[in-house]
Amino acid sequence: MIASIGRRAVEAVSAAGRWGFFVADLGRAAADVGTWSRLLVGQMRRIGVDSLPVAVFIAAFTGVVLALQASYTFTGAVPLYFVGTLVGKTMMLELGPVLTGLALAGRVGATMAAELGTMKVTEQVDALETLAYDPQSYLVLPRVLAATLMFPVIVALAILTGICTGWLTSLELLHLSTAEFVKGLKLFYLFKDTWYGLFKSATFGCTIALVGCWIGLGTYGGAEGVGRSTMRTVVYSAVLILMLDAFWAVVLL
Amino acid sequence: MKRENEFAVGLAVIAAFAVVVGGALWLSNIHLGHTEAVRTARFRTVGGLSVGNPVVLRGVRVGRVEGIRLAPGSWVEADLKIYSGVALPERPAVIAASASLFGEWAASLVSIDQLPNDPNVRAAIAEAQAAGGGGTKWPGATLPDIGQLTAQASRIATDIASVAARVQTAFDSEAVIELRSSIRDFGQIADRLARVTNEQADVFGSVGTNLRKGSDALGHAATELQATLGRVDSATNQGQLAAILNNSAAASHDLHQASQDFRDFMDAAHRNQESLVRALVAADTVMSRIANRTGTLGLLVADSTLYRETTLTMIQLRQLLSDIQANPRKYFTFSVF
Repeated sequence: MIASIGRRAVEAVSAAGRWGFFVADLGRAAADVGTWSRLLVGQMRRIGVDSLPVAVFIAAFTGVVLALQASYTFTGAVPLYFVGTLVGKTMMLELGPVLTGLALAGRVGATMAAELGTMKVTEQVDALETLAYDPQSYLVLPRVLAATLMFPVIVALAILTGICTGWLTSLELLHLSTAEFVKGLKLFYLFKDTWYGLFKSATFGCTIALVGCWIGLGTYGGAEGVGRSTMRTVVYSAVLILMLDAFWAVVLL
Repeated sequence: MKRENEFAVGLAVIAAFAVVVGGALWLSNIHLGHTEAVRTARFRTVGGLSVGNPVVLRGVRVGRVEGIRLAPGSWVEADLKIYSGVALPERPAVIAASASLFGEWAASLVSIDQLPNDPNVRAAIAEAQAAGGGGTKWPGATLPDIGQLTAQASRIATDIASVAARVQTAFDSEAVIELRSSIRDFGQIADRLARVTNEQADVFGSVGTNLRKGSDALGHAATELQATLGRVDSATNQGQLAAILNNSAAASHDLHQASQDFRDFMDAAHRNQESLVRALVAADTVMSRIANRTGTLGLLVADSTLYRETTLTMIQLRQLLSDIQANPRKYFTFSVF
């Protein structure tokens, strides 16, 4: 048992060290603009634009559920125009960024881990290094930058979708007028609500990409190892997203 | 493919940017292109007013609260951004008040000449106005939060409910039955009182009759008294009354003298009584000492030894006298030389 504890402690320290080297290499790779800039737009398309349908789909139903649950909660006691307040605030501050982040942790993070893990176990990464390509600037940095830049874009459109579906639900199912919904939406709006959600989503994107790339590049053990890396990426990303969400809530709110 | 990627990404980014910027401007009620004037209002407290709350004039939104900060002299200053083209009152004041029961606040612009009839508001506006600010700062007042008013109303309602509960407790079904019984009893008492009143009216009637008879008798007595007084008057004329008065004066003098003698006698008796009291007190003291076995008599009474000794001494004295009488030479010697 003592040996097990010692082994795990050494592994944790070793992982922290590898993580430090990984981030340091990433910083150095930032100077290789010629390499990563050519690949950035492609990654932005794959990570961002291609993820929009998933994010919008989730946000659409979230908006519907929020409006209905808000009306259920407010029945009799609170004016119904507060449905707009709750839908807007919740989508902007919490559900937009977090639900989109969790969904994309599965889609984007798992894709990165599987892609880089397969490259790693099939020695394509070694081949790139042999050809004098820096894997950090060629593989990691475009993905990390693309995720960081595109997550706020995805989340912004997801928030818009959620608010729109909440508004439509209020119109059709709650018999709330547009003016009342907009009144509730504007009632306690602060610009901080917007930038807080977008900033949070950028950190989520960066985290998902870093975790996916780090675990993917550390893959070993063939196809089984790729599967394990994919699973670990999704789990770690989800956990880190929730931890970051709480952290930013403490720091920024 | 690359151009397609660029187009898709660019479209997404532009759409997101438009959503964020347009949404933020729309939700914040910021009107781009409109020139807005920022004016400052001075409050003692702004209550629940916060940045972004509307500024209204006669119920119409004409701006928003741009900033709130603490100012020297225990003041709070609020920057109000007013839309251009709004005709403001000539002498404006600002009243911060809750706009609904759910925490919404608004800053209402009013003319100082048309302030609400609230002494607190008027006092606050006057104080803020007196504080000056170079005429650039509008005076402000804050109405109590609706939450405070509802809390006060809640306390009043609780008190009313308590009173109602007490009334209900006091007037339960048993009390109502008793009250009904009391009313019935009161009715009976009223009936009896009416009967008594009628009877008393009859009595008063007979009393009146008797009084009339008594008055007649009194008149008759007065006539007789008048006759008696006539006789007395005639007796006075013959000097009999003067003699009676002289006799009465002499009797009174004798009585006075007797009274004086009696008073002297009582003084003497009083003095004798005091002497008697003193004697009794002295006797009581002696008896107390004897009873307490103090003093000579007390000791004699208490101590049998002393009694025996005294008795023995008396016996010896008698024997001595007998011996002296029998043998005088033994005790007395006469010699010439």
